[in-house]
Amino acid sequence: MTGHDVVFVLVGLLTAAAAILTVTSKNLVHAALFLATTLAGIAGVFLVLAADFLALVQLVVYVGAVAVLFLFGLMLTRAPIGREALDNQNRGLAIGVSGGLFVVLSALIVDAVVGGSLGDTTVAEVTGPGIEDIGMAIFAEWVLPFEVLSMLLLAALIGAIVLARREPGDSGEEAMATRIDFGDAPPTEGTDSLSSGSLPELTSGERREGGP
Amino acid sequence: MPIDFIAIMPEIVLTVTALLVLAADLALRGDAKQLVNPLATFGTLIAIGFTVFLWGDERTTFGTMFVVDAYAVVFKLVFLVALLAILGISWRFFAEGRYFQGEYYFLLLTSFIGMVLMPSARDLLLLFVALETVSIPAFVMAGLRKRDLYSSEAALKFFIIGVLSVALMLFGMSMVYGFTGTTDLVGIAEAIRAGDADVPLLLGSVMLVIVGFGFKVSAVPFHFWAPDTYAGSPMPVAAMLAVASKAAGFAGLIAIAFVAFEPLAEVWAPVLGVIAILTMTLGNLIALQQRDLIRLLAYSSVAQAGYMLVPFGLARSGSDAIAVNDAAVQAVLFYLAAYAVMNIGAFGVAIAVNRRTGLRSIADYAGLSARSPLLALALTVFLLSLGGAPPTVGLWAKFAILEAITVDVTAFGVVLGSFVVINSVIAFFYYLKVVKTLWMDEAREGLPTLQPGFNLSAVVVVLMVGTVVLGVLPGLITDFTSITSVLATG
Amino acid sequence: MSPLGPLLLATLLFCVGIYGVIARRNAVLVLMSVELMLNAVNINLVAFSNLLFPEDAAVSGQIFALFIIGVAAAEVGVGLAIVFNMFRNRASVNVDDVDLMRW
Repeated sequence: MTGHDVVFVLVGLLTAAAAILTVTSKNLVHAALFLATTLAGIAGVFLVLAADFLALVQLVVYVGAVAVLFLFGLMLTRAPIGREALDNQNRGLAIGVSGGLFVVLSALIVDAVVGGSLGDTTVAEVTGPGIEDIGMAIFAEWVLPFEVLSMLLLAALIGAIVLARREPGDSGEEAMATRIDFGDAPPTEGTDSLSSGSLPELTSGERREGGP
Repeated sequence: MPIDFIAIMPEIVLTVTALLVLAADLALRGDAKQLVNPLATFGTLIAIGFTVFLWGDERTTFGTMFVVDAYAVVFKLVFLVALLAILGISWRFFAEGRYFQGEYYFLLLTSFIGMVLMPSARDLLLLFVALETVSIPAFVMAGLRKRDLYSSEAALKFFIIGVLSVALMLFGMSMVYGFTGTTDLVGIAEAIRAGDADVPLLLGSVMLVIVGFGFKVSAVPFHFWAPDTYAGSPMPVAAMLAVASKAAGFAGLIAIAFVAFEPLAEVWAPVLGVIAILTMTLGNLIALQQRDLIRLLAYSSVAQAGYMLVPFGLARSGSDAIAVNDAAVQAVLFYLAAYAVMNIGAFGVAIAVNRRTGLRSIADYAGLSARSPLLALALTVFLLSLGGAPPTVGLWAKFAILEAITVDVTAFGVVLGSFVVINSVIAFFYYLKVVKTLWMDEAREGLPTLQPGFNLSAVVVVLMVGTVVLGVLPGLITDFTSITSVLATG
Repeated sequence: MSPLGPLLLATLLFCVGIYGVIARRNAVLVLMSVELMLNAVNINLVAFSNLLFPEDAAVSGQIFALFIIGVAAAEVGVGLAIVFNMFRNRASVNVDDVDLMRW
C-alpha cells in the first residue's frame, strides 16, 4: 500500500460519508452543505487520480456554482425541516433497491478487476494528461460536441429564464387552461385562471379515470 | 484535421436559424412576434434542402465521430419534416396563447439540432450531448404553460425521469469505456469482439444503457411518465415529445445496439424483445380504458414504441447476421416515418378541437363530423392508420415489421410476430370507438365553432393525404429505407 | 494504484444517489441525489482514463467527464427553474404531491 492509496482511502471515506449524510440528513441546509463536502471530496479524488484540471473544474463548477445554486433553491422554496417533511414512505424500498444494486455492482466490479478482464489492473505511478493535452483534444477531436454543448448551455440559460421570470399576461395565463377532467376539481392555489371557468359545462357527473 | 462543413450543413443551418429566431424575437414587438414562426419554417426548409443535397453521399468527418450516409439522411429528413409539421401546428396555438413565443421556437429548434445529430453520431460522447440537447429544451417546453399546474407537473415528472435515465445510461457508458478504452461506437464493437464478451459487469453495463434508452422511448416498465407529460404539456409540445423525441431515442438506441453492442446481440435482443411484448400489450390494454383523447394517444404511442422495439428483438450478432439486422433497422425506420406522419396528424386535429374550447375528453369529440367534416375525416384516417387499417401507411408499417421477422424465422420471432398481430386487433377496439364517437354520436349543444386556421388545416390535410398516398404507394418510403444500412459504414 | 478503490467509491455514490431519488420527497433533494449519481460516473471515467488508458491521445475519459460536468450544470439550472415554477403554483416542492395525474 503506497502513500497514494492511503490518501485515496482517506479522501474516499470522507466523500462516501458526506454522500450518505446528504441523502439522510433531516435538515435541508445541512444536506446542501454535505453535498458541497461530497463534491469537494470528489475534487480530491480527482487530484489523487492525477486529473488536476478536472479537479479544478469540479471545484469551480460544482462546489462554487452548483452547490450555491442548490442552497438558493432550498431557501427560495422555504422547504420545511424534519424526516417527515423530507422523506416519503418509500425508505424501505429505497434501501432495498440501492443496497441490492450496490451489492450486485460491487461484486461484478471486484470480479472484473480481480479476474483481470479490465486490463492490467495496477499501475505503479498514476499519471494523467496535462491541461495542454486536454485543450488540444477538446478543440481538435471533440470540437463538434463542444460546439453543440455551447448551444445546449444557451438553451438551458434561456429556458431557465423563461420558466423563472414573472411577467403577468405574457406567460400563458390568459391562454385557455388545459382541461383534464379526472372527476375532481384541480387545486386552486395560485391558479385563478384555471378554475374561473369560461369553459362550457362538461358532463360533470361522469368520473374519468386518470391512469392505470 | 479538416472539417467537412457540407456534412454538418443541416445542423449549422438549424443553429443559425435558432439564433436568428432569438434575435428576431428581441427586435419584434407585440403581434409581430408571431413572425418568428415563418422565419423558423424558412430555416427548416433550407436545412431540408441541404439534407436532400447530401442524399447518396457517404461522408465522415470529425474523425469517425460524425457519419452522413443514407440511413442518417433518411432519419434527418423524418426529423426535419416533423419539425415543419410541428411549426405549422404551433403557430396559432402559441400566437393566441401569449406564451414566450420567440423562446419557444428557439428551444424547439435547439431540440431538433440535437435530433438531427443523433442518427449521424458514432461516438458515445456525441450521442450523450445530442441526447441532452434534445431533452433539456424539451423539459422547459413541457412547462411552458407556466401558471398551469398540469404543465408544471408534466415538466417536473419529465425532468426527473429524464435526468435519472441519463444518469443510469452514463454509468453504463462509463463502464463500457472502462472495458474498451474508447468512446467510438465502431471501436467499442471491435474491442468487445476482441476481448471475452461474457464478463458479467460488461453485460450489466449494457443493460444499464438500454434501461436508460428505455425511459427515453417510454418502453414498459419505464413508460409511466409519458401519458402525464403528454397530457400536461402544451399540445404542440406533446406532439413533438410523442413523435420526434421518441424517434431521437430510437436513433440513439439503433446506434448503440446495432453498432456498438452488435457483438452482444444474443444478450440484449431477447431482453428488448420481451420489453417489446410488454410495451405493446400493456400500452394497448391501458389505452382501452382512456376517456381523454390525449391520454389515449399517449398510451397508443407507448404501444407503438412496443411495435418499434420488435425488430430489436430479432437482432443477431456475427457476420452472417447482417441481412437480419439490416432488415430490422429498416423496419424500425419505416415504422418511425409512418408513425411520425400519422401521430403528428392526430395531435394536429386534437389541437384544432381543443385550442378554442379546452375540451379534450373523447366524449367532446362526439359529432365532430357535423361540426367539421374535414377534421373528422382527418382524425379518422390518422386513427385507422395508427391501428393499421388499409389503405393507410400504418398497414405497411406493420407489414415492414412482420417482413423483418420473415427474413430468418425463429421461434422467438414468431412469438413476437403473433403479439404484433394480437395487439393490432386490440388496438382497433379503442381507435374504432373514437371513430364511432366522431361519426355516430350527437354533438352537444352550445359548442363554439372550430376555426383551425390555415397553417393547422394545411398541415393536417397534407399529413392526411400523405397517410393515404403512402398507404397506396408504400414504395415511396420503402425505396428510401431499404437502401439504408447502419452496418455498411459502421 | 488499483482502479478497484475508485470504482467501488463510484458505485457507492451511485447507489446512494439512487436511494436519495427514491426516498426523498423534496424535489430539490431529489435533484441533489441525481447530481451524486452523475459525479459517480465522473469518478469512473477519470479512474479508467488515468489508470487503465493513460496513453489515449484523445483523452476520451476525462473529456467525457468534463462534458458531463457541463451538462449537469445546465440540468441543475433548468431543474431548479422547473421546481421554482412548481413552487410558485402550489407552494410545495414535494414530488409525491405531484399527483394531479396518476403516475
